[in-house]
Amino acid sequence: MTAEAIATTPGEQRALERFYYHEARLLDNRQYQQWLALVAESVRYRMPARVNVQVDNRQRGGEAMLAIERELETAEGQGNPLRDEGFVHLALRVERAYKINSWSENPPARTRRIIGNVELMRRTARSWEVLSNFHLYYARPGSDNHLYSGQRRDALQPQEDGFRLLEREVILDYADIGQPTLGLFF
Amino acid sequence: MDFAIDELVNEDASLISRRCWSDAQVYELEKRGIFGRAWLFLGHVSQIREPGDFVQAYMCETPVILARGEDGAIHANINSCTHRGLPVCRADHGNTRRFICPYHNWAYAVDGSLQAIPQESEVRNKPDKSTLGLKRVPRVESWRGLVFGSFNVQIEPLEDYLGDMRFYLDAFLQRFPDGIEFLGAPHRWVINANWKLPVENQLGDVNHGAFLHSAIIPREAQTAIEQLGYSVVPRPGHGATFRLMPEDSPWEDVAWGMEGMGAIFGAADVREYLAEVQARAGERVGELRARMKGLTYGVYPNLSFLWSNTSFKVSHPRGPGKVEYWSWAVVPADAPDAIKRALRTNYSSFFGPAGILEQEDSEVWTQQFIGSDIDFADDRPYFYGLGLGEEGPHPQLPGLVSVTANEFYARHFFRRWRDDLRAAEARR
Repeated sequence: MTAEAIATTPGEQRALERFYYHEARLLDNRQYQQWLALVAESVRYRMPARVNVQVDNRQRGGEAMLAIERELETAEGQGNPLRDEGFVHLALRVERAYKINSWSENPPARTRRIIGNVELMRRTARSWEVLSNFHLYYARPGSDNHLYSGQRRDALQPQEDGFRLLEREVILDYADIGQPTLGLFF
Repeated sequence: MDFAIDELVNEDASLISRRCWSDAQVYELEKRGIFGRAWLFLGHVSQIREPGDFVQAYMCETPVILARGEDGAIHANINSCTHRGLPVCRADHGNTRRFICPYHNWAYAVDGSLQAIPQESEVRNKPDKSTLGLKRVPRVESWRGLVFGSFNVQIEPLEDYLGDMRFYLDAFLQRFPDGIEFLGAPHRWVINANWKLPVENQLGDVNHGAFLHSAIIPREAQTAIEQLGYSVVPRPGHGATFRLMPEDSPWEDVAWGMEGMGAIFGAADVREYLAEVQARAGERVGELRARMKGLTYGVYPNLSFLWSNTSFKVSHPRGPGKVEYWSWAVVPADAPDAIKRALRTNYSSFFGPAGILEQEDSEVWTQQFIGSDIDFADDRPYFYGLGLGEEGPHPQLPGLVSVTANEFYARHFFRRWRDDLRAAEARR
């Protein structure tokens, strides 16, 4: 990803935001089957693990010392990402959601997603590469409520009627995980 | 304590008090009687290959640094400065020559020895640095690359402690020409549950699968467990469950790894690799163990191994009602990198903090703590009597053996647990 977003027309920016707001509303309304229709069958859905890393003394004084990428165990590396999934995994999660014995969500949890900082970073022949941030509020029965905070690094395929999700990499803002599950749709 | 240990676990351990899971005094006794006495899992040698490599570990709530010293030896020390007690190692893993306390920069070598006190040049009486190193974990031993530590100087050797559990662990660990390796850092997450329930779940409780996980696990898989499954207690507190596949089974029904998403959706070379491992399993682990298709293992008190989804896990207590659960993806050390990347999803697709199965487990562990922390129900201890007395010896499998529905694995765990707590009270 380049350091700065590329120029977009107001129409393009609006189209991206429309897609993300629509997606967030479907997920918060638990309409996961409709959400899955926005996902390409070739999707790569990933969540790197994040670790508390040792600062490299030789990099002190410069921005490389604090680079986010140093903290990530990604799907390309030889670490252990939290999620490295395709369409089948997502479809299985959607299917599970509507079974009565998906006990961790029965009674269902309540969620509210706020998506922001939507930036188009690159256009290729295949896709638009887009960054966005999210705060996801998650409340299961009982008073134990949770905030999920992070960034999404997406590749979106432009379509007549909007976009399809080709790639999503979810960068969580946690190394030590206090949330009850990371198996949600982010 | 406000009650006797005999009130917690009855003689044959078929009745288990709610207080075992929720009482603060019981928890303090567990610390002294179990975590201060047993061999506790610290890590795997593949995490600390080079001199200066270190990873963090825990022994109950006590932070420990597991490191390879400049001498090439493995060292385990409590991560707390001798001066003011701060953790001197702040990263999850890495490589270093020194651990330096942030407060006054006391500096320790990776073997724990104190190397420098910056302030000592300004005082006349120099402290004896040789007595001021990090507190060493007094016993550290490894077996097949698995490193354990103990605060109990007199504890039996690790191999004796594992006993016949080694027979079952070897069915997996020796299956691969170069053994196993741990990939990356452990996934670590907090669950509002008592530490013993994740342990019990992996020690032998494969029969919750058909019920708790019926949204995902097909009935046929559970039927195979009922028909081909064995539960073994090689030594009280340890446990192993597995399917013993018929001799004429096709290789793909037996081979480790073929049940997971990495094999199902991976490239053809993943299945070729697994076929090769299975083809040579007989010569590596013998004909009987080559047919073993493992499910879950447990090593007393809090190490688990999930064979079917290839993960080592440790349930670190954080009080009676909280656990920090660590789990590592484990892969064969000799596999090419791309195959390791595919096989690690056998773990992460279903287990770990994002796992589609494990989210149900952590939910019921949390709910069990809620039930264990209530009042007015102490006259209704939990029933642990399924299959009482139905276990026995087996001609080929060491230990006590039974069907997987027999809860003897949990009864033996709690008998050992009760003995350890009694001994801790007697020492007081």
